[in-house]
Amino acid sequence: MAADLAWSRKEAKWRYGGRIWPFLSIFFLILVLHCVAILLFTRGFLLTRTELPHHSNCSDVSQSPCVQPPPSSPSKEDDGPRRNPNLNKQQCWTKPAIDRLVIIVLDALRFDFVAPISSFEDIKPWMGKLQVLHKLVSREGSSARIFKAIADPPTTSLQRLKGLTTGGLPTFIDVGNSFGAPAILEDNLISQLVQNGKRVVMMGDDTWLQVFPHHFNVSFPYPSFNVKDLHTVDDGCTRNLFPFLYDEKWDVLIAHFLGVDHAGHIFGVNSVPMIEKLEQYNVILEKIVEVLEGQSGPGGLHENTLLLVMGDHGQTLNGDHGGGSAEEVETAIFAMGFKDPPSSLMLERDTSSCQLDVDGRMVCINSIQQLDFAVTVSALLGIPFPFGSIGSVNPELYALAAGTWNLERSMDDVLQNHTSTKDWMQNYVNVLCMNSWQVKRYVDVYSASSLIGFSNEDVLHLSAMYAQAMENWSSTLMNLGSGKNESCHVSLPDLKRQIDSYLSFLASVAELARSKWTQFNLKIMSIGFGVMLISLLVHVLCIRWLDKLCGVYVLSPAKSGISHGLMFSCLIVAIRACSFLSNSYILEEGKVACFLAGTTAMLKLRYSITKTKMELEAFVLILLITVLRFCVELGLSKQAVSSGLADMCPSWMLAVAESYPFWSHIAELPPVLALIILAYMLHESISRSSCRRFLKFVIRGTVFSYLLIAAYWASESKLLNLPLQRNYIAKGVYVIGFGQLSFLALLQFLTEEKTSSWKETVVLKIVAVLSALSSTIIILSGRQGPMVALASIAGGWCIMRLGSLEQDSENGHLQTLSLYSFPVTQWSILAVCLFFCTGHWCAFDGLRYAAAFIGFEEFILFPQAILLTIDTFGFSHILPIFGLPFLVLQQVGSGQGERGKGLFFLQLCQVYLMYGLVTATTATFTMLCVAIQRRHLMVWGLFAPKFVFDVLGLMLTDFLIVLALLYYRVRVEDDGPRQHRFEK
Amino acid sequence: MAKKKQQHATNGSDTVPSPSPLPSPPPSLSPSPWQAFLVHLISGLGLASALGVAHKVYSVNLISDPIHTLRLIWVFEAPIVILIYSLLRKNPKQCSYWKAVGRGILALPAGAVVNALGAIALGAPVGSKYFLKTLNWSLLMSLFTFVPAASVFGSSWTDWIQLFGHTKPSGCIDYMICLPAHGAVIGAWFGAWPMPLDWDRPWQEWPICVSYGAIAGYLIAMVASFSFVLLRSNRQHIKGE
Repeated sequence: MAADLAWSRKEAKWRYGGRIWPFLSIFFLILVLHCVAILLFTRGFLLTRTELPHHSNCSDVSQSPCVQPPPSSPSKEDDGPRRNPNLNKQQCWTKPAIDRLVIIVLDALRFDFVAPISSFEDIKPWMGKLQVLHKLVSREGSSARIFKAIADPPTTSLQRLKGLTTGGLPTFIDVGNSFGAPAILEDNLISQLVQNGKRVVMMGDDTWLQVFPHHFNVSFPYPSFNVKDLHTVDDGCTRNLFPFLYDEKWDVLIAHFLGVDHAGHIFGVNSVPMIEKLEQYNVILEKIVEVLEGQSGPGGLHENTLLLVMGDHGQTLNGDHGGGSAEEVETAIFAMGFKDPPSSLMLERDTSSCQLDVDGRMVCINSIQQLDFAVTVSALLGIPFPFGSIGSVNPELYALAAGTWNLERSMDDVLQNHTSTKDWMQNYVNVLCMNSWQVKRYVDVYSASSLIGFSNEDVLHLSAMYAQAMENWSSTLMNLGSGKNESCHVSLPDLKRQIDSYLSFLASVAELARSKWTQFNLKIMSIGFGVMLISLLVHVLCIRWLDKLCGVYVLSPAKSGISHGLMFSCLIVAIRACSFLSNSYILEEGKVACFLAGTTAMLKLRYSITKTKMELEAFVLILLITVLRFCVELGLSKQAVSSGLADMCPSWMLAVAESYPFWSHIAELPPVLALIILAYMLHESISRSSCRRFLKFVIRGTVFSYLLIAAYWASESKLLNLPLQRNYIAKGVYVIGFGQLSFLALLQFLTEEKTSSWKETVVLKIVAVLSALSSTIIILSGRQGPMVALASIAGGWCIMRLGSLEQDSENGHLQTLSLYSFPVTQWSILAVCLFFCTGHWCAFDGLRYAAAFIGFEEFILFPQAILLTIDTFGFSHILPIFGLPFLVLQQVGSGQGERGKGLFFLQLCQVYLMYGLVTATTATFTMLCVAIQRRHLMVWGLFAPKFVFDVLGLMLTDFLIVLALLYYRVRVEDDGPRQHRFEK
Repeated sequence: MAKKKQQHATNGSDTVPSPSPLPSPPPSLSPSPWQAFLVHLISGLGLASALGVAHKVYSVNLISDPIHTLRLIWVFEAPIVILIYSLLRKNPKQCSYWKAVGRGILALPAGAVVNALGAIALGAPVGSKYFLKTLNWSLLMSLFTFVPAASVFGSSWTDWIQLFGHTKPSGCIDYMICLPAHGAVIGAWFGAWPMPLDWDRPWQEWPICVSYGAIAGYLIAMVASFSFVLLRSNRQHIKGE
């Protein structure tokens, strides 16, 4: 035993002979492990896609290799006066097949609401409720069809709208998207419509207006957020819809009904309100069709109109949606043209499944990908395809409108029939050619411009397919030319082959895109998670190893076993980590953190009462947490309203007093007072200590910075009209802060001054770096800054004082592990509270963008990103980590000289390890939770932002810990046994 | 004043076999298991009857009208608790029965203030809308925690610290006070956890689920305390032989 002790003491000497590299390497290892884990996990989980700013134009068509204009019908175009001027307009990419489009969107329309009952074995009350649709489909000679539309996850309305209109696959991070506003900036169907002079009318769900703020000629938005309201949106739609059906001042009409979605959310699918809603829709749809048909005669308003009734996504029986289950992704599209059906078109690629319904009529159902919607509609309307669309023109849906071309309708013999099919196919080949060219262009541009584009071999494979298809076509045409074919038509089998090769190219693009943008890579995710677990293990092992090393320094044998403090801190961390499993707790994380912090403070109060000392500190801590708790609630209420408001009034103090001028002037005072108190404290701290001229110099710089901050605020307020250049003041503060930090870094390389007491030096070093950082953080946080700074000083002081309770109480020395676990946990939870009470929350609209513009008028990416980071993580990560050594200083006996210094550094390492462990544990659980909840409705709204914040916070924590250790390293050389207690 | 104590509560049980070195309470008022059972039974019945009256007579319950129901409960329970625990007062010779009752009555509002402040520190909502709810809830909590101790020990600081600080109950009466009080507080602490969930149930409101948690914890702890008393007396019995 004694030999063992001697050996480990020797080892400690060897390990810590003024050398810090063994210790630093641990932290480096952890940093690297975390980075690897996070990188891997993120690659699998956060599907990212770069939004390209390009738009398709009519004129682009000249770059395409496709035949323009289609050779099949030039003669037809000049034939006599056409009834519809729109069809006669000079064509853009494709020949328009329809000139008006009515889109009825029924939110959360399950496929079985629409499908005929006969296709299900087990008939439920809600199935086939929209009977009018199959009546129309099965009617003799109708050109109506029901499609089963397959949506891509995430099946939330916003993402689906985006998918439907852009023809792409929206992901969580569409890079380039302005995070706050949901407006679609990518090329899309609606902006193409507007660009090409189509008039669009919208009614219903107001999400459309958020997404397309300036696109509609006329719009009737109704609020969509009140889920309990089943009727407002629908009634508004119906009221406005019918007058418009008689109106000719629009080209595209969109009506978005929300009732079914809301009924599902509130009552579920199998409920009376749902059935009633569906029956109501049935009646509405019947009326719509009636009105449209009434005007569909030759020359009528709706002669070339296509009616689309569609869902944006499905829903589960409970009314949930967002995930990727079959119930959620399967929705329906019903399409109906009002011209005679293309009865003669013989499409062999018919994917429909036909069935006899209850009345013995034939009902055919096709399948369509929602991805194909945008491009098919564009092709039908003859507008350029959206730039980022990766869908293909669906043959069945496209064929529905074939009747509008008046292809040889009069002559009905077999030969003509054959010709018309061929004509149509010829045209379709041209459309597909265009489509393939546009998709290929997108893939090329995307791979060239995106950081994480498609892999090289995939792109090569696609290029080969495309080249093959194009070559086929040109050789066919070439043969045609040389063969002097009279009819100038390609043979039917050739056309079919060509269609197949285009479609297979498009299908493989879609498949590639899906694998890239919609499918989580579980393998990579689990590897990342595994690495994370390994890092946790490394943490624990290192803590135990250091514990042993520290034990060497302690003369009396350490009390073994697990203390209550350790148990409680494990419990608290575990509770907090598990709370991330539920979206509700993530939403209220600030409150939960305050609750836990309050709990720990009360435990401490109870403990201090039994020890009959330091009750005051415990009491102050509880009081402080109570105050923080109210701040957090204020911040959370801001989150509920919106971030726009939060930016307007950066200080929660001012928010209260804004309307009263007198009070608003009074409200200017507390921040300045708090600043004065801070400056006074700094002044005290340097006047009381006797050493280190340079450090004092740094701290004086901060006092000067505070003056500048006060001047900045004075210039901001209307009270004093000071002719000051505000931006220069703010920049001055940044420059001073940066200068102080670099000066401190430089000091590290200078030989250490002979000081009276190493402890005093360390204290001064902590104060210096904290003060250097604080000025920037305070000015970025706005008026609340100095008060939060005071609060964190008070909190830190209380925790530090209370931490020493444990040691003083026991006669022997505790193991460092049990000594520090509780204060460190408290410290980290308090840091979380500070994050929330400074008005942040874990979402991108929780960033305080206003902070980035302090000192800058215009947008410059790099410095402002740094400022935003400092503002976001300042009080919650940067200051707590640099302030952590206070905890250790309090514990290490100051009279121990050389040994004390060694002990100090060892314990500092251990404290940092514990702090890192607490942060890493929460981050690990966040990873686990997002992995479990990856198909949850809120995964993109809540879990993923939380994940991003936690992961960034973790990496920042690791990095700062390494920096802090480099900064606080002490050399074990001199010995200054002077006793000097010092607190800031 | 939340759940500080859970860990110690179990610890206390470990110390049962070894007689506490601290000054033990005068043996004169160590209640028999039978008495303990009766005390707990009556308090439990008081709770039950209060809830029953609320349901039958006023046809309200905690969910539909928390203010009214909580008031009913503490009005019912207060005389029961104060009168019963005053019977078990420490030093019955120096302290008259009515003095003990008076201490209990005084402790009721004092304990309520402490409980309310603790709840607010932990995140209980404030505002005029919640004032009555918090008031009634904290009076109830005070009955579970402070009042019995005040009736029995009065202002004896060492006894209070012994029970609520160190959680080292030594006599039967200590168990009967200490365990239910800790149970109520821990129950209330856990009762607060469902509150943030988005289930939109009426019982997630402050202070309904917290009250449920407190009552449940109180009842469970009473059963535990009774079994401790029983165990203890058996041991003493064996020892005595």
